[in-house]
Order: sequence, then C-alpha cells, then structure tokens
Amino acid sequence: MSLLTLVLLPFLAAPVAAWGSRFGRLHAAWIAGAFTALALALLAPLLPPVFGGETLVHSWAWIPSLGVTLAFRLDGLSMMFALLILVIGLLIILYARYYLNPRDCMGRFYAYLMLFMGSMLGVVLSENLIQMVVFWELTSLSSFLLISYWQHRAEGRQGARMALAITGGGGLALFGGVILLGHIVGSYQLSDVLAAGDIIRAHPLYLPTLLLILLGVFTKSAQFPFHFWLPHAMAAPTPVSAYLHSATMVKAGVFLLARLYPALSGSTEWFMLVSGAGLATLLLGAYTALFKHDLKGLLAYSTLSHLGLITLLFGLSTPLAAVAGVFHIINHATFKASLFMAAGIIDHEAGTRDMRRLNGLWKYMPHTALLAMVAAAAMAGVPLLNGFLSKEMFFAETVHVAQLTAVGWLLPALATLAGVFSVAYSLRFIHDVFFNGEPVDLPKTPHEPPRWMKVPVEVLVALCLMVGMLPAFTVAPLLAVAATGALQATPPQYSLALWHGFTPELGMSAVALTLGILVYIGRKPLFALHERTVGRLDARAVYNALQGALLHANSALIARIETGSLQRMALLTVLVAVAAGTVGFLGSNAPLTGTRAGLPLDAVSLLAALALIAAALGTAALHRQRLVALVLIGVVGLVVSLAFVKFSAPDLALTQLSVEVVTLVLLLLALHYLPQHSPPESSNARRLRDMALALAAGGGAAALTWAVLTRPYEHIAGYFLENSVPGGGGHNVVNVILVDFRGFDTLGEITVLGLAGLGIYALLKGLRLPLRRADERGVDWSSDAHPPIMATLSRLLLPLALLVSVYIFLRGHNMPGGGFIAGLITAVALILQYLANGIDWTRGRVPANAHPLIGSGLLIATLTGLGSWVFGYPFLTSTHGHLHWPLIGEFELASAMAFDLGVYLVVVGATLLILIHLGKLSRTALPHSAEGSRD
Amino acid sequence: MNPATELLLSALILLGAVFTLIGSIGLARLRDFYTRLHGPTKASTLGVGSLLIASALYFSLTEPGISLHEVLVTLFLFITAPVSAHLLAKAALHLKLHSLARRPEQNNED
Repeated sequence: MSLLTLVLLPFLAAPVAAWGSRFGRLHAAWIAGAFTALALALLAPLLPPVFGGETLVHSWAWIPSLGVTLAFRLDGLSMMFALLILVIGLLIILYARYYLNPRDCMGRFYAYLMLFMGSMLGVVLSENLIQMVVFWELTSLSSFLLISYWQHRAEGRQGARMALAITGGGGLALFGGVILLGHIVGSYQLSDVLAAGDIIRAHPLYLPTLLLILLGVFTKSAQFPFHFWLPHAMAAPTPVSAYLHSATMVKAGVFLLARLYPALSGSTEWFMLVSGAGLATLLLGAYTALFKHDLKGLLAYSTLSHLGLITLLFGLSTPLAAVAGVFHIINHATFKASLFMAAGIIDHEAGTRDMRRLNGLWKYMPHTALLAMVAAAAMAGVPLLNGFLSKEMFFAETVHVAQLTAVGWLLPALATLAGVFSVAYSLRFIHDVFFNGEPVDLPKTPHEPPRWMKVPVEVLVALCLMVGMLPAFTVAPLLAVAATGALQATPPQYSLALWHGFTPELGMSAVALTLGILVYIGRKPLFALHERTVGRLDARAVYNALQGALLHANSALIARIETGSLQRMALLTVLVAVAAGTVGFLGSNAPLTGTRAGLPLDAVSLLAALALIAAALGTAALHRQRLVALVLIGVVGLVVSLAFVKFSAPDLALTQLSVEVVTLVLLLLALHYLPQHSPPESSNARRLRDMALALAAGGGAAALTWAVLTRPYEHIAGYFLENSVPGGGGHNVVNVILVDFRGFDTLGEITVLGLAGLGIYALLKGLRLPLRRADERGVDWSSDAHPPIMATLSRLLLPLALLVSVYIFLRGHNMPGGGFIAGLITAVALILQYLANGIDWTRGRVPANAHPLIGSGLLIATLTGLGSWVFGYPFLTSTHGHLHWPLIGEFELASAMAFDLGVYLVVVGATLLILIHLGKLSRTALPHSAEGSRD
Repeated sequence: MNPATELLLSALILLGAVFTLIGSIGLARLRDFYTRLHGPTKASTLGVGSLLIASALYFSLTEPGISLHEVLVTLFLFITAPVSAHLLAKAALHLKLHSLARRPEQNNED
C-alpha cells in the first residue's frame, strides 16, 4: 500500500496546494513542503530492506485481461531516484518560495510542481511498463505546464510547445516499444522483462523494439538529434529548470536506460546507437555551452553534455560503465541543481543572466559566489569534488573499451576533448560572472539573497564536497545498491578512492584541466570563429521548417478531402456503404428469402405502409417547399410510431412521438433562418446520379431487412425477457435493458448526448443571425408574437405535462415509460412555454441555464454506478426492492431509478440547451415591442 | 352487455364517424380558408366527443371502476383545439387571405 500512497501523495498535494493558496501567498509552499516531507517519511521505513538487497513489489490487478496491473517496485535504482526526486524536490520548494515574484500565482506553480513530482515518482517506481509509460507522459504534460508557467511570455509558450511535441512524440514511440517488449516477453512486468534479456536480444523484433524505446529515451533526455528542446525549455522559472531540466525529468531517459539495461544492452546495435548518440550529445553540448552568453543557456548545454556522458556510459555496455553512469546521475543532479539555483539567485538579484554584463559579482554576493564556484568546480571535474570521481570512472571506462575495439584511441581522445570544453565553460561561469572587472549596466544593484534562499544551494554544495572527499562514507552504500538495481546483479569490484595511482584517467583529467584553462584564456578568437561558423546553425530552424512543412502538407490534404460540400460527403459515405454492402451480398450464395413463413397481412397495416411510402416519396419530391416537406416527414414519423405500437413496442412508440415533436420544433427553428423555397441547384445528370445512388442504397437496405426478417432468428431477447424481473426488478424489459443490463452503454450515450448539447451550444454561442423583417412575399411579421390565447393555455398545460412526465418516469421500470421519454416530455413542455410566452417571460420563471442539468444528470448516473462499488459489486450493479407507499400501493424501487433520473436530467438539459439557443439566435435583432407593450 | 347499451354505443360511434366525415368533406370542399376552418373544428368537437363518450361508457360498463382516460383526452382537446384554430385564423388574417365575408376592421394592434 505504501508505495501507491507514496506516488499518490504529490497528486493529492497538487489540488490542496492550489486551494490553499487562496488563503495566503505562502500557504501553497508550506503545503507542498509538508506533503513532500510526508512522502519522505513514508519512504524512510522502506529504505533498510532495500539497502539489504530486497526488491519490494506491490501490485493490484487493474485490467488483467490486457496484462495491465497497478504495480510498484522499489529496488536500489528506483530508491535512488525516488530519494533524488523527493530531497531535491523539497529543496526546490524552499527555494521557489523565495524565487517567485509576489505577482506570480504560487498555488498554480506548486500544484504543477506536485503534479510533476507525482508523475516522476510514478515513472521510477513503476513495476508495470504500461503504467510507467502513463506516468512518463504525465511528466511531459506537467513539464509543459511548468515551462509555460509564465504564460504571458512568448518564448515560454513556444519552448513549452516544442518540449511537449518532442517528448510527447518520444513518449508515443516508447509506448510502441514497450508494447513490442511485452509481446516478446509475454509480460509487462519489469521483473519478467529484466529476467528475459537473452530472449529479447535474440528476438527478430529486437531492433524495432530498441529503436522505439531509444526514441523515447533520447527525446526525454534531450540526446542528439533531439537535444534542441532543452535549451528552449529554459524559459521556465529557474526552480523548474533546476528540478525538471537538470536534476530529474531529463534523467527519466537515462533512468530508463539504466532500468532496461539488463534487458536490452550488450548488443552491437545498443552499443552503436546509445554510445553514438551519447558521444555526439556530449561533444555538442560541451562545445556549445562555452559560447552561450546566457547563464542558463550555458547550464542547459552543459546539462546536455552531461546527459550525453551518462548515455555514453550506458552505451559502453560494461558493468563498470553502468556503475559510473549511475554514479554520475547522482553527482550531476547535486551540482547542476545547485548551479541552476545559484544562477537563479544571480538573475533574481542582478536582474539579468547575460554574462557579458554580469561581471565582478564577488564583491556584491561573496557567499553565493563561493557556493557557485564550488559547484562549478564539481562540474568541471576538479579533484576533491564529486564530479571528479565519476569523471575519472568515465575516462577509465573509455580507455578500457578503447582496448577492446578497433577505433582504439578515438574514444578516450574525444572524451578528453569534451572534458576540455567542460573545464573551459565551468571556468567561464566562475570567472565571467564573479570576477572579470565591474558589472555592466545592471538593472538592479546585486546583493545577497534572503538567508533561506541559499540554504538549498548550501545543502547541495555540502553534498558535493562530502561525496567528493569521503565517498566511502557517504555515497558508497547508495551507489552500490543502485548499481545492483540497474545491473540486476552484483556489480564488479570498483574503488571510490580519490587516489588510484598514476593511471591513464588521471592523465586525461590533467590534460583536460590544463587545456581547458588554456582554451578559456584564448577564448576571444574562438568566440569570433564560433559566431562566424557554427553559431549560425540552429536546430530550432530545422524543427520549425519541419513543423511548418508538416502543417502545410496536412492543410493541403484536408483541403483536398474536405471541400465543405455536404452533398459530396454524403455521396461518398453512401457510396462506400453501398459498395461494402454489395461486396457482402456478392460474397455469399445464400438465398435472399429465408425459410420463415410470413405473417398475415391486414388491410390497416397495408394502408399505413402505403401512407408511409407516399409520405417518404412526397418528402423527397417536394423538398424544395420546405414546410410541406416537413409536414410529410411528420407523417413518416407518425406511421413509424404506429408501427411500433402494432409490434408491441409501446416504449419505442412513445419515444418516437416525443422525438418527432422535438425534431419538428428544431427543424422549424432552423428553417426560420433559411429561405422558404430552395431553387433547383443540381443539373439533371447529377440528379439522375443521386437518384440511382439513393435507389441502390435504399434497395440494398430493404433487401438486407428482408433477408433478416425472413429468417428464423435466435437472439438474446429471450434472455432479457427471462431475467428482467428477477435480475432487474422491472417488468418493462426495454427500460431494464437501458438502465440495468446495458447501463454502461446508456451512460456512454447520455454522455455523448450531453457533449452534443454542449457542442451545439458552443457553435451557436457567438452566432447572431439577422432576422428578416418580412417573409418572402413582403408581408411583415405579425407584431403579436405571443397571442394571449396560446400563451394562457400553454401555461395551463405546463403542470399537466409535468405531471405526465413524472408519471411516465415513475412507472418506467414496469410499464412503458422511463427517464428518456419523461425527459423528452418535460423538455417539450418547457419549450412550449418558450414558444408561447417568449424567452424573457420564461427565463424569469424557469432556470434558464441548462448546463447544471446536464452536469448533475451525468453526475447522478455515474454516482449511482459507483455506488455499487461501495457494496462490493461491479460498476453499475443494480439492486431493487419492494416498497409500500400509502395511497399509491405496492411499489417496486430499483437503484436503477436513480440512474434513470440521471438520464432524465441529461435529456432535459441537452434538449433545452439546443432548442433555446437555436431560438435565441436572432434575439438581439428582434424588436421587443410586442413583449414590452403587453407587460 | 344488454342490447340497449350496445345500440346506444353503436349510435354514438356512428354519430362520431359521421361528424368526422362531414368535417373532412367540409375541409376539402368549402370555398375559403375561414369557412374551411369550421370543418376540422366540428370533427374535433362533436366527432371526437361522441367517440369519447362511447369509449367511456364501454369501458366503464365492461371493466371495474369508471374509465376516466377519456376525460383527460377531452381536457387536452379543450386546451389545444382553440389554440390551433385561433393561431390559424390569426395567420390567415395577417396574410390577408381571400375571404367570402368582408374582412373585419383592422384593429390598432396589427
């Protein structure tokens, strides 16, 4: 339970923080901090067993048929990440409390931050891979929200969009990869996947699986060629950059590399792809970082290069390299988060991040400067600091691998080159900002930040020092257990000591330090060269061009498919249906007429059928006279409902009747805005074509119906008829099917109905149609819009109609009726008031807002369904019992009635919403003289 | 059911049918809109009324209790029939349809 609680806690904290900030600016920070501390406290008792080598797995069945379980896993690797996320998260919460401006909305910031924390915990603690992908996407979404936190800034919005497009796209690829992985292994559980490495690597689908998963990894961890979103994500507030874009989220990619290391690594493809991308990113990032004038830009590219370094280590596929990778994840998180926070402090206190203007800050903020310098030294890999240890391990591994492969010296050489640049940009960070003369034209006079703003930086810098000097007493146990988790085996022997003697890696470090200092000293010509050459390349331009081309191609495609012609759409739809039907008919050689004997034909039915045919033909023939056509459609509807009565479907007949009324009103309202007669627009040839198509479609449907009705048909109606009373407690089978047997379908349908109502509302909302002053014969509209006889009598009718609808509703479970019909009747009764008495009169008496009706209806229906969970039954299980009401008598009460009430409310709400807004379209254009004169 | 009641019911049903028929003929044959309007009103009052009385009597005599459905039908007819007739006449007046009689004086409201 406690792992689930751990992941859910931040998600719980998010709304609480957002709500809490209403009562005070700092409440959100306190709430977020308290929840994070609580999560840490929950994690604490689980640590000793994990340090002892245990792997905790908690799981619950979720969708067992799809192999999806809700499962969490705590082993060394996930514990290390969980600690990073929570501890650095806590520091960031403290830091952001001072960083954010009084004008910034604290609640929103902390809510987003907590959402991210929960998602990230979910990623690292997931045992089920599908579940991990879900959390993975959530981190992309929350990162999007956080990057665009300052919504008024264009670069924030653009950066957020780009980050979402890249990481979200990668997430989709990862989803595909995980599904393939599950297909290969036969399980989505991490324990099974990790144990099946040999099977996976030997499988023919290994390469596509690897490619898809690596796409996810590379986009998330900003590896070349997907690196460019990360620098643009720096538009986020600095606490976000420190937390998401250096310490945690971008580490999700390398986390996955470490996580799936036992399952995927070891192949040539893995080596080439992972180490290739890592090496490219390492060099590109280290090189570009040197030339960035923006403080955060430098740190962003440096983050890229360190992520590349970690990726490269995992790509090398030796167990020791993996250990080094895990170690560097910890080290990078500590020094880079503190550097970002220091950069944020400088930005906060000096008002700019431009290193050409920030100079000589040592005099103004010596304390911060000292902290930043130690962290930057760790970044450069200076001895006695944690960065040095992992970098040494990295260099050692490159040398080790170089001995095995043909390229030989190339890898250590390139690694050293990256080290040179890393020293150079670290030096630039220190020297340009804190020394190098006097500040140039700063917006503010810099000074030390508030005391507590520095505490998070101090904590992290202290960690850098402690790990760097006394690794065996600090990080060693954590690293050992995390490396064991990543390798799923005992890691090989390694030593965390500072001094290993004169080794090649020590030499590489020395070269990197010396050359790095030299590069920094000779930076002026290098800068000029960079500006002229590489600096002009911008990956964003490529991205924008690609995006533009994609959008353009899609618009062109849509323009070709969707021409805006309804006729053409209908033609294509019907054509496809006819073609599909024809193929089906031709494919079988069964006779059209089945074996079932026909029912006797009586005169009345024949007459009704003839009337139906005549009315349908008339509608088509007279469609240009719209009102006549409408009357004829009404005849069709009436005959259909009579047919329902004849074939013992009183429910359907009632529904059909009420639907007829509503449709008629709807069409009349719509026709109001159209000309009374439509001129002939189609050519004769086209009409002939349409007629042929209509005949084919109608004939096909008729043939299909004939074929079905002449065959003996075993259907499920028997089951429903038998089980309606014992299972659903109602004699009206149709209603029991709707609210009980197929209640889930109905829930979906009323949701669709509510959405349709809201959609039409949204479409009509801003629309204003001019009302013509006169009809087409030039006669003015009657000024007496609401004749008194109709107005008065319709008011009399309202209570009667409502009574009928209540009656129909209550008896619905046992006799013809139910929520749907009752809803339609209520809606018709209310619409009648609108028609007869005008919108203003009715609005004053009936609550006009239909949205709450739809909402509460859906809520009631859903809650009824959920209610059965309380009693331990599946969703929407119905119960029923007998009740004796005085005066009314024995009464069957089923829980489905509450569900039916939901249906009722949604139907009333959606119908009213549509019709009233359609009726109101021209309301602003309508003079209210008639209304006013009578009142 | 005794023969006298049967006779009475048959007479009522026939009477209703005849009035409905007359109403329909009137609707088809009369010469202007306003007189045609009389046809359906006869059918819906006298014609349907007779049929409803017949129905009420029949069900009250053959089944336990008094049948009140017909009263409801009558009530709804009484509410709706005048409204539709009034609206039709109003529309016709507004559109100045051909009339056998002299049109009434225009009142101020129109």
